Amino acid sequence: MDGIHDLGGRQGFGKVDVDEKEEAFHSDWEARAYGIVRAMSKAPDWTLDKFRFTREQIDPADYLTRPYYDQWLQAYAALMVGSGVANVDEIVNGHSAGPSSDLGTPRGPDSVVAEKGAAAVQFERPYDKPFQFEVGSRVQTKPHAHKGHTRLPAYVRGHMGEVIEVRGAFIFPDDSAQGVERAEPMYTAAFKASDLWPGEGLNHLVHLDLWESYLEPA
Amino acid sequence: MSEHDHKSVGDIHHELHSHLPPDPALRVKAMESLLIEKGMLDPATVDAWVEAYSEKIGPKCGAAIVAKAWTDPEFKARLLENGTEAVKELDGAGWAVAHLRVIENTDDVHNLVVCTLCSCYPHAILGPPPNWYKMAAYRSRAVREPRAVLEEFGVHLPDKIDLRVWDSTSELRYLVLPQRPAGTDDWDEERLASIITRNSMIGTHRDLDPAAGSA
Repeated sequence: MDGIHDLGGRQGFGKVDVDEKEEAFHSDWEARAYGIVRAMSKAPDWTLDKFRFTREQIDPADYLTRPYYDQWLQAYAALMVGSGVANVDEIVNGHSAGPSSDLGTPRGPDSVVAEKGAAAVQFERPYDKPFQFEVGSRVQTKPHAHKGHTRLPAYVRGHMGEVIEVRGAFIFPDDSAQGVERAEPMYTAAFKASDLWPGEGLNHLVHLDLWESYLEPA
Repeated sequence: MSEHDHKSVGDIHHELHSHLPPDPALRVKAMESLLIEKGMLDPATVDAWVEAYSEKIGPKCGAAIVAKAWTDPEFKARLLENGTEAVKELDGAGWAVAHLRVIENTDDVHNLVVCTLCSCYPHAILGPPPNWYKMAAYRSRAVREPRAVLEEFGVHLPDKIDLRVWDSTSELRYLVLPQRPAGTDDWDEERLASIITRNSMIGTHRDLDPAAGSA
């Protein structure tokens, strides 16, 4: 989806706020929102990619101006409404007018400590087909995306790069956002900034992690 | 047909936008009470997450990893080879991260991490990201004019130094291994860790200052 979220290389957003105070949370509500998102029950089909796609569809003006954790909660609110777990009135009023969710008992505080010792959520998957590319392969990214979720940013589409590492087979986000789990080879590829933005006197490299179906042999 | 069958995600967002109060604190409060009533949230678990990310998990976890890499060449080799496995050796240095790639700064190379599409960041090692990392200015410019962005952070990077930008488009998380400053040869890991800044592990800081540390 060519949405407002796809910010790489866009111009006109001004300077970076380098004077921001260094602290985990800048307000109580930020901390609360962060904790809620980590602690809340989630339906099995609310994958990370579906969550990201939901956030990408926030009104563009809101996306650029509403606080970040506020957008996290709005994305989960939209997922709850979309899944029939709650309606908009309930979200706005902060009270349940219907039955409890059928997502089971919410996780208790012990789950926080347990998560430290447990293996983190894995996105790599077994894959028995050959990988199309190897380190050193010249690749060209697809020129277009599609209306769904994708992790191929607009600024790199249709450009030539070189595979510098083969990462393994990872869950393909474009499908995962639609509720389909399928793994695909994933590579880190390097692109010359002078190719991406010619004539700007650039000499750095930009690296992206890209799935095989984003790429063609070059 | 229920309400959710015919509404697009965009429609739902517009409806939420129209009806929710603008104040984020009020939105958060309403969401928390609804989730509790729906049986989807234990507020004590929220407290536990906030405590963990306010006190235990944060840049000092990353600093411990970097300090160990500076003092233990074999660990450093393992860290650069497979960051995910290597950080498990440090008890308490960070929480589980599924896929970690550590990239090393040298005299000739500087690395800078960004996520242009959302705000992917190694929370389990550096804590929650700074706001600037999540905002449009950094996300748009870090890939296109990273040297200008670095200048704003007070980092002047000579043209002869290779600049490598890493756009975190997958579930692989990137952590920069900054250079150990001169004059710290006889320091132990704890003292070394005290001079390692959060920004140096994102790449928006380069020359660490031995005078900034605890003696």
